[in-house]
Amino acid sequence: MKRLFSLALVIAVLAILVPVAGAAPPAQGEEYIVRAGDWLSKLADKYLGDPMAYPAIVLATNKKHGEDATFAYIDNPDLIEPGWKLWVPSAEEAAELVAAPKGTPYKIGFAPSVTGGGSFLGVPERNTAEIIIEQLERTGGVVGPDGVLHPVEIIMGDTESKPDVGVSLARRFIDEDEVVALVMGSLTPISLAIAEVAEEAEVPYVSMASSLAIITDPDTGEMRPWVFKTPQSNGDVAAWQVERLQKLGVKSACYLYENTGYGKDCFKNSSKAIEAAGITTAYSDSFERTDTEFPQVAGVEASGCDVVIVGAIPPGASMVTIALRDALPDIPIIHGHGVCTEDFITTAGAAAEGVELPCSAVIIAEDVPGDHPQKAVFMHYKKLYTEYTGEPVSTFGGHGWDGLMWVLDALKSLPDGLTLEEQRAAVRDYLENNIKDWPGTAGVFTLSPEDHYGLTAESFTWFKVEGGKWVPFPKEQW
Amino acid sequence: MNQRVGVAKTESKWKLSRELVGKGVTVAVILGVIAFVLFLGYKKHFETRHYLQLAIDGIRGGSIYALIALGFVVIHSVTGIINFAQGEFVMLGAMLCATIYHSDLSLPPVLKLALAIVLAVAATTLIGVVLERITIYPARGSPVVALIIITIGATITIRALALLAWGTRAKWVPAFTTLEMEDLTFRFGGLIVKAQSFWIWGAVAVVLAVLFYFFERTVMGKALRACAVNRRAAQLMGISPSRMSLLSFALAAALGAIGGIVLAPATRPTYDMGLILGLKGFVAAIMGGLVSSPGAVLGGLILGAAENIGAGVTSAGYKDIVAFVILILILLFRPQGLIGGGERAVEEG
Amino acid sequence: MEQKEKGRDWNQRLNALGVMFLAILVGVIGWVELAQPFGIRFRDFTGGMVTFDTLIRIGILTIVLVGLNLLMGYAGQISLGQAAFYGIGAYTSAIMTTLASRHGVLPGVSRSWWWPWLAILVGMGVTGGFAYLIGRPILRLRGNYLAMATLGLGIIMYILFREGEDFTGGNDGIAGIPRLAIGSFKIWPIERYYFLVWAIALVVIIIALNIVNSRVGRALRSIHGSEVAANTMGVDTAKYKSQVLVLSAVLASLAGSLYAHFQALIAPTPFSFAASVELLVMSVVGGIASIWGAPFGVALIYVVREVLRARLHAILHGAGGEHEMIVYGIVVVVIMIFMPEGLTAGLAKALRRAKRA
Repeated sequence: MKRLFSLALVIAVLAILVPVAGAAPPAQGEEYIVRAGDWLSKLADKYLGDPMAYPAIVLATNKKHGEDATFAYIDNPDLIEPGWKLWVPSAEEAAELVAAPKGTPYKIGFAPSVTGGGSFLGVPERNTAEIIIEQLERTGGVVGPDGVLHPVEIIMGDTESKPDVGVSLARRFIDEDEVVALVMGSLTPISLAIAEVAEEAEVPYVSMASSLAIITDPDTGEMRPWVFKTPQSNGDVAAWQVERLQKLGVKSACYLYENTGYGKDCFKNSSKAIEAAGITTAYSDSFERTDTEFPQVAGVEASGCDVVIVGAIPPGASMVTIALRDALPDIPIIHGHGVCTEDFITTAGAAAEGVELPCSAVIIAEDVPGDHPQKAVFMHYKKLYTEYTGEPVSTFGGHGWDGLMWVLDALKSLPDGLTLEEQRAAVRDYLENNIKDWPGTAGVFTLSPEDHYGLTAESFTWFKVEGGKWVPFPKEQW
Repeated sequence: MNQRVGVAKTESKWKLSRELVGKGVTVAVILGVIAFVLFLGYKKHFETRHYLQLAIDGIRGGSIYALIALGFVVIHSVTGIINFAQGEFVMLGAMLCATIYHSDLSLPPVLKLALAIVLAVAATTLIGVVLERITIYPARGSPVVALIIITIGATITIRALALLAWGTRAKWVPAFTTLEMEDLTFRFGGLIVKAQSFWIWGAVAVVLAVLFYFFERTVMGKALRACAVNRRAAQLMGISPSRMSLLSFALAAALGAIGGIVLAPATRPTYDMGLILGLKGFVAAIMGGLVSSPGAVLGGLILGAAENIGAGVTSAGYKDIVAFVILILILLFRPQGLIGGGERAVEEG
Repeated sequence: MEQKEKGRDWNQRLNALGVMFLAILVGVIGWVELAQPFGIRFRDFTGGMVTFDTLIRIGILTIVLVGLNLLMGYAGQISLGQAAFYGIGAYTSAIMTTLASRHGVLPGVSRSWWWPWLAILVGMGVTGGFAYLIGRPILRLRGNYLAMATLGLGIIMYILFREGEDFTGGNDGIAGIPRLAIGSFKIWPIERYYFLVWAIALVVIIIALNIVNSRVGRALRSIHGSEVAANTMGVDTAKYKSQVLVLSAVLASLAGSLYAHFQALIAPTPFSFAASVELLVMSVVGGIASIWGAPFGVALIYVVREVLRARLHAILHGAGGEHEMIVYGIVVVVIMIFMPEGLTAGLAKALRRAKRA
C-alpha cells in the first residue's frame, strides 16, 4: 500500500514536471556531479527528455565506474548522494546502452528460516533480500569491470528452520539452479550442515548465523576455504560484557539464556570469558522463548549474584527482563546483541529501563556522528527497510544485507565469459581478499584467508536504555 | 458368551491386585520425587517462599493448560478426535485480541479492550466452526486417524496464515487491571503475584461454572454429554452427531480463545505460541483420562505447578521433561486418569 | 475359502510385481544419472524439481515408514514418537563414528572402514532394546495408550538430544560424520549413496511383505481387528505387539544411521515431536493398511513439498515460505478428505473399479 502510494506520488510529481522540462539532450554524454535535491528521474527528464529513462544513467554511470573508479556505482536508483560523479549519456548512447547485449546472468541462492523456530531471524532477512531484488530489477543487474551488464537473479527459499531442508535447498541451488554463491542459514546447525555441502561442491557460501564453528574446519581448526559469515560473534560480545562487569566491580554473575543455538552460544562464550576474568557464575539457566513463567528468577534471587546477563532475542528476552525487574528491581541487567531492535523496548516496556548491551549502531542510525564509517550504510538500510516493511530495523535483516552485498560486490568484479566454476572461484577469492574496510550493517569488515568473519569487538557500541530509547553509553562514562 | 465372561473376570482380578501394587508404587514414587526436589532445591539455597513462588507461577500457567485441556476433552469425547489445532485457537484468541485492541478505533481503553476480547472470542469460535465444517464434516465417517491428520494439516495452514498476517513480531495486550503494559504487582512477604494472575484464575473459575451449568442444565449440553457417553445411542435418540461435532469445535475454540486472551497480558503473543501450549494442554487432558473435564482441569493445574517447580530446582532446559515424565507415570500407574472414567477413551472410532 | 486363497495368491503376485517394478525404477533412474545415455539426465524428466538428494531422503524415510505401517496398520498402534527411534540410531552412529576425532577414543579401530557399519548395528541393537523395555509395560494397556506414551518418550528423547551437550553437541549437533565405505571403496558421491539406500529400502520392503503374509502377519491383523477376540483365540497379543514395536524401532534406527552418514551433520530438529507428526502424516497419507503405503506416502509428501518449493513463487508472485506451508497444509487436508484410507487404498479402489468396468 505504502509503495503504491509513493508510486502515485512520483507519477503526480512527474506530471507536473514534464511540461517544464526543456534542456536538450547533449550530443555526447557528459559528467554530472550530484547536487542536493537531485534525483535520477529528474536528471533523466532534464537530459534525455523522459523521466522513465533513468536506468540508462544508472547503467552508463556503473559502466564508467569499471573504467574509472571516481565515478559512482549506483546500487539503488532511489539513492544518489550529493557529490557523486555520474555519467549522463547522450540519447543515442542511452538507446545503445539499453539495447546492448547482456552478459551471462548470475544466480544467488538465498534461504533464511522464514518458517519454523528461526523465523524471528529469517523473516527480516527475507524482507531485506526482497528489497535488494527490487533494486536489482530496476538497475537491471550488476555491471562488470568490462562494462557488461549481467542480470542477477536471487532465488529465494525457506529452510523451514530444519537442517534437512537447508541441505536439500543448498544442493538444489548448486546442482539445478547453478548458482554462483549461496547466502543461507539463519541458525547455526543449519549453517553447519550447509557448510559441508558448499565445501564439497566448492561454492562460496555466506552464513547468516553467528557461531564461529560455521567457518572453522572441525578437524583442523582452520578456516573453511568456501565458507564465510556476516553476524557478529558472541566472543566479541563477551569481551565487552566482561569489561563492563570489571568496571562495575562485581564478584558473581548470573546468566540466563534462551534455549536455542544462539542463546547457548552466548552463554558458552560469556561464561568462559567471565570465569577467565575471575568472576564466578553463581547461577545459570536457560528458558524458552514461549515461556510465561520464569522459575529461573527464583534461582537468581537465591544465588545472590550481583548482576544478571541475558543471552536471548525478543520477545523471550523481554519477558525474562520483566520477570527479573519484578523480583529484583535494583540488579543491573546486561544483554547480548540479540535484543538490538526497538521491539525489545516496545515489548519489555518500563522493565527495559537501565538495560545495557553491546550492539551495532544501526539502531540509532540518525544519531550516529557523520564521520562514522558506517553512517551511510546505516541510514540507507534503515530507510529502505522501514519504508518497505513498515517495521523497525533489526540487526538480523542486516546480516542478510551484508551477505548479499558482499556477493554482489564480488560479482561486479567478474569479467564476462567465465565458466560457472571460474565464477564461483573468483567470487570466493574476491570475498577473501577484497572485502577490506568494508562498511556493513554489523561493522566494518576486513576479511582475509585467516579470517572469514572480519569483525572485531570494535564493531560494537555499548548502549543503555534510557527513557524508552537506546542511548550510547561509551566506556569513558562508565 | 462364556469366554467373554471369563475374560472380564480375570481382568477385574488382575486390576485389583495391580491397583494395590500401583498405589504403593505411586506413594513411593511421589515421596521419592519430593525428597529429590527438596535436595536439589537445598543445593540451590531455596527457601520456602521460593517453592511457594514457583508453585503460584506454575498454577497460573497451569490454568491456561487447563482451559486448553478442556477443549481437547470436549472434542475428543464427542468425536474421538485429538484436535491438534487446539493450541492454535489459543494463539488466534491472543493475536486477534491484540490486533483489535491496537486498531484505530477511537474508544476509551476499557471499552476497546472489552470489545477486543468479545470480538476475539467470537472470531475464534467462528474459525473453529468453519474449520469443522470445511475439514471434519466432509470427512465424517473416515477413520479417526485420518481426522487427526486433518487437524494437523489445518494446524500447519493456520500457523502459516498467522505468520503471513502478523509476521514474527510479538504483540502485546494491556493488563486488564491497569490497561497498560505494566501490570500491578502485589507483594505478600516476599511473594510476588501479578494482578493478571487473578484474572486468569477468575476466568478459569467462571468458565468452569458456565460449563457446569451448560452440561448439567441445558438441553444442548446434555445432548453433548449423551454423545460423549455413547455416540450411537445418542444418534438413536435423535441427537445429530454432526451438529454435536460442530458444537464441540465451537466450544473448544472459544475455550482456547479465552485462555489465549487472559494469558496475553502476561506474555507477548507471537504467531507460533500455540504449539507448545497445545502440547501441554494435551498432556493435561491425558492426565484427566481424555474424557473427564474436572480431571483435565486438575491435570492442568498439577502439571503447571510440577513443571515450574521441577524446572526451578533443576534446569529450565528440562522443564518439558518434567511434564512428559508425569505423562508416562500416569499412563503406567493410572491410565484411567487422575479422577478416573478414562476407560471410555479406549473406545475405538 | 478357495476364493480367499485365490485372493491371497493374487495379492502375492501383485506384491512381487511391485517389488520388481520398484527395483527396476530405482535402477533405471540411477543408471540414467550415471551413464547419461544420449546425454539425457534424470533432471530432464523432472524439470529439476526432484533431485537425488530428495530421492535419497525418500528412501531413508521409506525404511522408517515400513516399520511405522507395520505398527499402525497391522498391529493397530499409533506411534507419535517414531522420530525418537530414528534419532537414537542417528546419534549412536554419529557419536561412535566421531569418537576418534572428538575424544581420541579407540583411534585405531574407530577410523577403520567397518567401524561405521558396526555402529549401525549397535544403534539397531540399542534402539531395539529400548523399544522392548518401554513396550512391555505400555503395550499391556489397551487402546491408544501407546500413542500417548510414545509422544512423551519422543519429546523426552528430543530434549535429551538437545540438552546432552557433552554427548550430542546440543543444539548445534555433531558435525563431521564420515561417509560410509567398504574397504577403500567410498559410498559417495551422492549417486552411490542413492543405490545403497534404495537397496536397503527394497530389502526392508521385501522382508516386511513376507512378515505380513506369514503367520505373524495374520496374528497382527487379528489384533487390529479385535484384540479381545485375538486374545481369546490364543494369540499372545502383547508379545506380538511388542515384537512389532521392536521391529519398527530397529528399522527407524537403521534409517537414522543412514541419515546421519548422508547428512554428515546431525542436530536435534529432525528428531522432534514435529518430525514424528510428519512421519505420521506421511504414513496415513500413503495408507497405513499396506506396506506399499510407505514409499507412496513419503514420495507424495516429498514431491508436494519440493514442487511447492521449486514452483510456487513462479505461480504466485512474491510467495515465500509461509505460502508453501499454507498450501502444504491444505493439500494434506484435501488428501485426507478424499482418500481417508490413504493413497494406496485409494488407488486400489480405483483399480478395482477399473477392473470391474
